[in-house]
Amino acid sequence: MSDYSNPEVLVSTNWVKENLGQPKIKMVEIDVDTKAYDAGHVRGAIAFNWQTQLQDQVSRDIISKTEFEKLVSQAGISPDDTVILYGDNNNWFAAYGFWLFKLYGHKDVRLMNGGRIKWLNEADKELTTDVPKPTPTTYKVTEEHPELRAYVQDVLEASKSGRINLVDVRSPDEFSGKVIAPPGMTETAQRGGHVPGAKSVPWSQAVSSDGTFKPLSELQKIYIEQKGVDTNKDTIAYCRIGERSSHTWFVLKYLLGFKNVKNYDGSWTEYGNLIRVPIEKGA
Amino acid sequence: MNHKTRVYDNVFEMLPNEENPSPMVRINKLNPSPEFTLFAKLEWMNPFGSVKDRAAWAMLREFEEKGEVGKGRGFVEPTSGNTGISLAAMACARGYHMRAVVPNKVPLEKKVLLKIAGAELDVVSDDLCPAPGLGEGSINLAKTHAKAQAAKYAMPNQYENETNVDAHYRTTGPEIWKQTEGEITHLFVSLGTCGTVTGASRFLRKMKPDIKVIAVQPTEGHDVPGLRNVTQLGVSKLFDASLIDDILEVEFRTAYTRALELCQTEGLLAGPSSGLILEGAREIIMRDKIGLGVMIFPDNIFKYTSNMMKHIPGLAAGTTA
Repeated sequence: MSDYSNPEVLVSTNWVKENLGQPKIKMVEIDVDTKAYDAGHVRGAIAFNWQTQLQDQVSRDIISKTEFEKLVSQAGISPDDTVILYGDNNNWFAAYGFWLFKLYGHKDVRLMNGGRIKWLNEADKELTTDVPKPTPTTYKVTEEHPELRAYVQDVLEASKSGRINLVDVRSPDEFSGKVIAPPGMTETAQRGGHVPGAKSVPWSQAVSSDGTFKPLSELQKIYIEQKGVDTNKDTIAYCRIGERSSHTWFVLKYLLGFKNVKNYDGSWTEYGNLIRVPIEKGA
Repeated sequence: MNHKTRVYDNVFEMLPNEENPSPMVRINKLNPSPEFTLFAKLEWMNPFGSVKDRAAWAMLREFEEKGEVGKGRGFVEPTSGNTGISLAAMACARGYHMRAVVPNKVPLEKKVLLKIAGAELDVVSDDLCPAPGLGEGSINLAKTHAKAQAAKYAMPNQYENETNVDAHYRTTGPEIWKQTEGEITHLFVSLGTCGTVTGASRFLRKMKPDIKVIAVQPTEGHDVPGLRNVTQLGVSKLFDASLIDDILEVEFRTAYTRALELCQTEGLLAGPSSGLILEGAREIIMRDKIGLGVMIFPDNIFKYTSNMMKHIPGLAAGTTA
């Protein structure tokens, strides 16, 4: 993984095994299905629940700066700690957590490549049900990076002007409008389709069969050569609720090195519910 | 144990084998060719209620013999229901605990039956935009339990355990050979873990290499519990394409309508996987015309009433006062 634009944001499962227990390294698991952590996790890892702990519980928003400070303080994390995030479903929500840590300016946050499934399937990696009791810190956010987040106005402007790449990372059927959401999902929209001008690059194209990110050359081939995402333009990634797009945001910004990439966390559950916004259907 | 009088010392003596095979019943009305003899092998007549008795018992015995269970260590297993029901009932009767990890789409009847059979239940959402190559949520969660609490759980893993195949090589195959007196020309099966097809086919092909083995699979996006479309077969390490002549794809809703026909015309209270196999068998019989075929009917209809109501709208009508 050394040839990625920012290789330092990824660690391997072996690296985690070797560095586990070091005082300045903090492991955090973020899953789609929170049962996974309870069943077994990397020793020393604490868990964040993306639904109840990473999102505002009243208005639709990420948690505020104060709530973020409280959350990571309780997790025993200091601003100079190396935070390693991992989770299920190819690190979808771990990537969402990564985006949140970066929005609130945490310096050293990384993803464990391959997520919990890679760790699970490696014979020499241990899982435990022991839940750690971290010593709380008093974490203070000193800088924020709002430029990593896109709002609907940015998306409308990007669609209208064509000057910004729009990358739709949902499944082909969601992109075409055949379905509004994957089967069984409760978060949905009034209309199906995609933002006019968006390119369809399903998130899963970025990962290999073992759940790790594909090598740089393959990623370049997919995003730049095949799908025509323009390296000279700014980029906005979106999906349905902003978690799969965090994964692609991570790929575009840190692995491929695109210069200004935003995650539109409102995504289709915001856009597809708005009155009179332009929508395109079909592949 | 006396198979003649059917008097047994314990339920395990009733498990099927060459001496005590599951019954085969001739299909009389739904068979499209008079020159073709078609039998259904009724696996729901096994003591724990399905074809999965065979794999569950073989795996349980394997783990007992290796000393992998006992002294507080029980089982954890990913299951769409039937393996879990068989394994839970067997395990409880032998003094082991059992945790079943099931996909949410499994019918409610099966989830409740798992609990009745004594299993602790974990339900996982498996339809959440499945990740490529990473297996399924239920398998991964079961593996997690087995790894994080190895002192408490052993995982037979029916998707990878060759004992699953061996169970059918030792019982299902020889039973069919004996019951058809070696006259079998066609074997019709569905695909799930692929233990049945791989084991039975391996035995029957050894006895008679030109036996045609036909696997029937539901169309993608199906909701027939326990079955897999070829695109979902990645999780099963027991699939061996060299042992199968044809893989037929059948529109999955046909599984339910054919099951209803079996119930209402043949008097066989067969479940949807059996209905699917019948549809595939009919296609091949119309092609080949002559032969003697055996369909392995995995389960009866009782655990699938909610799915039947979903696909056959008239069934729900008139069920309340």
